[in-house]
Amino acid sequence: MELELFLLMLIPGLIVGFIFGFILQRGRFCMNSAFRDIILLKEYKLVKGVALAIGVQMIGFSILILAGAVTQNPKPFTVFGNIIGGFVFGIGMVLAAGCASGTTYRVGEGMVGSFVALIGLGLGAYMTKSGILSSTSTALKTTITDGDGNNLTVAGVATPIVMLIIGIVILGVFVYFHLLPALKSRKEAKESILDFSDMKTKIFKKSYPWWVAGTAIGILNCVAWLSSAAAGRNYPLGITSGWLGWLNFSVTADEAALNWLLFMVAGVILGAFIAALISKEFKLRIPKQGKTLLIQFAGGLIMGFGAVTAAGCNIGNLLSGVPMLSVGSIVTSAFIILGCWLMAYLLFMREKE
Amino acid sequence: MVDIKETLDVRGEVCPYPDVKSKRKVKKMNSGEVLQILVDYPLSAERIPETMKSLGHELISVEKKGDAEWEILVKIK
Repeated sequence: MELELFLLMLIPGLIVGFIFGFILQRGRFCMNSAFRDIILLKEYKLVKGVALAIGVQMIGFSILILAGAVTQNPKPFTVFGNIIGGFVFGIGMVLAAGCASGTTYRVGEGMVGSFVALIGLGLGAYMTKSGILSSTSTALKTTITDGDGNNLTVAGVATPIVMLIIGIVILGVFVYFHLLPALKSRKEAKESILDFSDMKTKIFKKSYPWWVAGTAIGILNCVAWLSSAAAGRNYPLGITSGWLGWLNFSVTADEAALNWLLFMVAGVILGAFIAALISKEFKLRIPKQGKTLLIQFAGGLIMGFGAVTAAGCNIGNLLSGVPMLSVGSIVTSAFIILGCWLMAYLLFMREKE
Repeated sequence: MVDIKETLDVRGEVCPYPDVKSKRKVKKMNSGEVLQILVDYPLSAERIPETMKSLGHELISVEKKGDAEWEILVKIK
């Protein structure tokens, strides 16, 4: 591999990953929690953060596409690949106690169970991509494209414009229902509207409110797409393919397995580690019961199968793919949420007493 | 000095067991009693106090005891 290309993957990948991991840790930004807590705790903060990130990305991505900085690259619609892959992924993430990104950032916090789940995720993905599960996974996929053989999006040729419009609507809803009321109450309390005091504590020590984490991740993913495209990978953030790539590279020593994403995911662990260290939240934590580790490992394996079958995890499909209006990503995301709800109901909501 | 009636140690529990176990515990306690919750999972350390307040219980304190360790004191309504 040329040194120049390698450095383009290595350094920007690590930097984007580092910032991503930092925000995930400080924002406690886990999609398993986000969706599960809607039904379990009637708590909507994290899911609002996810929606805001998607809105910001719809605006950012459409501008990048319209400006010609990147080309549209929606994921395929494979019908049962998306439906079953998504559903299975949703079940797996409840068992693993974290989605693909949530599991990755928690490794940096020192959670041993998440480390075990991550090994499961990589292994499950590898088995599904090129091992004993690949025929099952392939059999589920019937790719449906548009008339010209392009991957299906909701709005066809008008996609970038529709993305921009939906993004502006989402941002408008956020400003009207959250930002303006918040500013008004600050004004009434005679607080200054923009409070830049003590920024060091706010960035490094305190946890981020949902709207800060959501906006920051949305903006970061636009930068991520540019940075990734410059290194020859035309797609925004993902997680599972990164770990799959590491496993592939470490087993085969094939340089072709290396790309921007591998260094990005490594950066996530590093960023979360530093964020946890600074805020004194790093500690090696081992689940009390041994069986929890086994359940988390199984959850990881299941997530790996789901992510490869659906052509993406909660980051590749839900965070990065939904803003591109990919039909496959939207269907996958809906079934990730349904799988998560089913498993959360079975595990936590039926009264045992 | 708060008179702690019971302690729930959910350190080492994975998401969302600290929250689920805390909710189940307070259901079984009597009005006026104080529950001490020990937790080492950051998201739960922020989410449990919110949940307790929304359930109507009185949040006495949330104190960081060390690296990734918090003590939450709740008075049952």
